[in-house]
Amino acid sequence: MKLLSLPERLGLVSYRNQAKSEIKPHIIVDTDICNSTCPHKCTTWVCPANCYTMDEAGKVHFQVEDCIECGTCMYACDQGAVDWNFPDPEIGRGVTWNFG
Amino acid sequence: MEDKFDCIVIGGGVAGLAAAMTLARNNMKFLLIEKGEFPGSKNVSGGVLWGSDLNKLVPNYWEEEDGGWDRFINHRRLTFMDEQSSFSLDFKSSHFNEKPYTGVVVLRSKFDNWLAGKVQEAIDASDFAMDSFIATDIKVDEVILENDKAVGIKTGEDEFYADSVIIAEGVNNLLTRQVGLQDKYVPADHMLTGIKEIIRFDQKVLEDRFQLNGLSGMSNEFVGWATNGIEGGGFLYTNRDTISLGLVLGLKDLREKKQKPYDVLNHFKQHPTIADAIKGGEVVEYSAHVVSSGDSRVMPKELYKDGILLVGEAANLLMNAGKAIQGMDYAMRSGILAAETIVEAKAKNDYTSAILKEYRKKMDDSYVMKDIKGFQDAVHLLHTDVMQNKVPNLVCDFGRQFFSIKNEPTPKSEKMLLGAVKRHSSLWELAKLGFKARKSL
Repeated sequence: MKLLSLPERLGLVSYRNQAKSEIKPHIIVDTDICNSTCPHKCTTWVCPANCYTMDEAGKVHFQVEDCIECGTCMYACDQGAVDWNFPDPEIGRGVTWNFG
Repeated sequence: MEDKFDCIVIGGGVAGLAAAMTLARNNMKFLLIEKGEFPGSKNVSGGVLWGSDLNKLVPNYWEEEDGGWDRFINHRRLTFMDEQSSFSLDFKSSHFNEKPYTGVVVLRSKFDNWLAGKVQEAIDASDFAMDSFIATDIKVDEVILENDKAVGIKTGEDEFYADSVIIAEGVNNLLTRQVGLQDKYVPADHMLTGIKEIIRFDQKVLEDRFQLNGLSGMSNEFVGWATNGIEGGGFLYTNRDTISLGLVLGLKDLREKKQKPYDVLNHFKQHPTIADAIKGGEVVEYSAHVVSSGDSRVMPKELYKDGILLVGEAANLLMNAGKAIQGMDYAMRSGILAAETIVEAKAKNDYTSAILKEYRKKMDDSYVMKDIKGFQDAVHLLHTDVMQNKVPNLVCDFGRQFFSIKNEPTPKSEKMLLGAVKRHSSLWELAKLGFKARKSL
């Protein structure tokens, strides 16, 4: 069986409010902390949806669009950079599982 | 306040719905709030619902043509893995075909929605058919506290009032933290990330491959090579025409070993045993969900305070002590017990800790807390390097020798076993393990 890449996997997820151009992010990341004092930048590998990425210069970037609301980053970040919340049903993103 | 409810239940998962069902049956006026589009739409589990409490909530649920559950478990397997081999403890019994079943595989988007339908039926049959509600698409921002007692909830500009609040928000327990029952930051030490793929087959192919009969199903847990050196394990459960295949990975270990969960999942899928099991399947969903290990150190300080009860994963009620990953059954029982406590509180018109502490007592007297307390050593043991790596390698090494027929003189099994022990561990280490296992299991 062919192994799926992460983008292929995320392509199977039903996200909410996809038609809306502007969404309210449900997670706010203070990447200044990631890029100054954080000794590990672990969110760039523990996130199951790869919402946290590291560029060539080693800087951490965050995007909320692919988030599948698992909560991993909220526990993994021990630096206080992740302000985690559930998405707003009307103007947030987040998921609706078909199987769950 | 005429609009005041007896209780507001936050969250339409197994715990919240079990509480709601119990409230409805006891003629309580309540509001269940779910942030998803429908109950179950944001819920993820492995997932087997163990035990027979479902039969208490929905009597004879199996009689329904297409109930919310997928298959009942009559075949269990625990598999030790090394790179090439898998050595399983396999138990199948028609004893498990008897009703009520002792485990059903569920897919939460379908199961929770079905269960919510049953709750609605119970509401319709109650005295508050027009005054109790299941409300979806509403996110609770905070529990309103007056003198540190819960009096309602706030969502956007709206406020709803109640004598009591049952928090059934799940593992990402922001409201539990807001009301002060858990620290604002919970470290990753005893948390794991579960990731899962739903893989679809032609139903006949699935049934033949896993030797399923009618609605029978199999649950298989994996330990060893599956997780690529990360503490945790794997699972495979059969649904109607799909399987749930996934991993539960220690978050602290994932952080330290710098591995990506989805890469580890692909690693697992390439094991020859798994590759054969999933051949020809089509992945139809990828999901993730954080769980606690069952280590009681991560549990909230208390399960109640004035006007508030915690149920299910909001209280980190989940445990894997080696026999099964239990969470949904703990959610169900805690939801039932919490609601029963609210019924008593209403009768006495006292929703303070003086009465609500009875919930703690009920929980302590139930199998949930008895097991969580009684199997802490087993939880710790399961997460040691010996159990995670050495034992699986040793067992597979032994199996490979034991089952090899080479047309040359065969050493005695004991010699094979001693060789395997020496290559992967030591007699002393295993003696210690055996001693610990005897006490903890």
